Amino acid sequence: METQTFPGNLDALGPIRTFVTHAGQAAGLSHKATYDLCLAVDEIATNIVTYGYEESGLTGDIRIKSEITEERLVISLEDTGKAYDPDAIALPDLDDLSQPLENRPLGGLGILLAKTGVDEFNYTQVDDHHVHEFIVRRNQHG
Amino acid sequence: MPLEISSEVVGKSAHITLVGELDSSTAPSVRQLVDKILADSPENLILHVEHLSFMASAGLRIIIFAKQRSPELKVYMVKPQETIVETLKKTGFYQGVYVVDESPV
Repeated sequence: METQTFPGNLDALGPIRTFVTHAGQAAGLSHKATYDLCLAVDEIATNIVTYGYEESGLTGDIRIKSEITEERLVISLEDTGKAYDPDAIALPDLDDLSQPLENRPLGGLGILLAKTGVDEFNYTQVDDHHVHEFIVRRNQHG
Repeated sequence: MPLEISSEVVGKSAHITLVGELDSSTAPSVRQLVDKILADSPENLILHVEHLSFMASAGLRIIIFAKQRSPELKVYMVKPQETIVETLKKTGFYQGVYVVDESPV
């Protein structure tokens, strides 16, 4: 298991992607699967920084962990920012996705890319810690 | 990797070249540039993205912003990498921009 902690600001996004890229390569994921995972993690990390910390007037860290098993790569993001429920955020539906771009809603795109970029996406709260978990099955994406 | 941004206006077409990674930390600079460019009402916004290796939803929101300001604006993406094409397709943006192998002007 690898772990790294970053301050919860937008400067962490690049190093977080580097961490995830290395984990994807270590797990033998394809370039596409690694990119999709990076994008998923980046979108949620961005939400943590923006909504969990900055817009809530809070400061804190983001801890990222990677765990590689025979079957899966699991990336976890842990934070202590303001809680939110990613399942409560409305994703763009088919009707939204087919709208002309000037009529598109701005929200929901990040969560859409996060959820569609991995095989499983979980969110849990443990006391004041929030954990986002991204799971990619190795044998399907190698 | 940070983002390098360069731009040029040729007639009614504004060209922006993006090299590196476009995320929420680098997007504000692009948005500011697009805002400035749109003040002159170009007909075409041509994004040269062959060497853009990462684009988060922040990049998509810049395109929405540009189209909201100028609904008739034609947005081109020149030689996007396959991963970014996939993002455009997943989010329904593929139909709203022109994905091309070379600059139209």
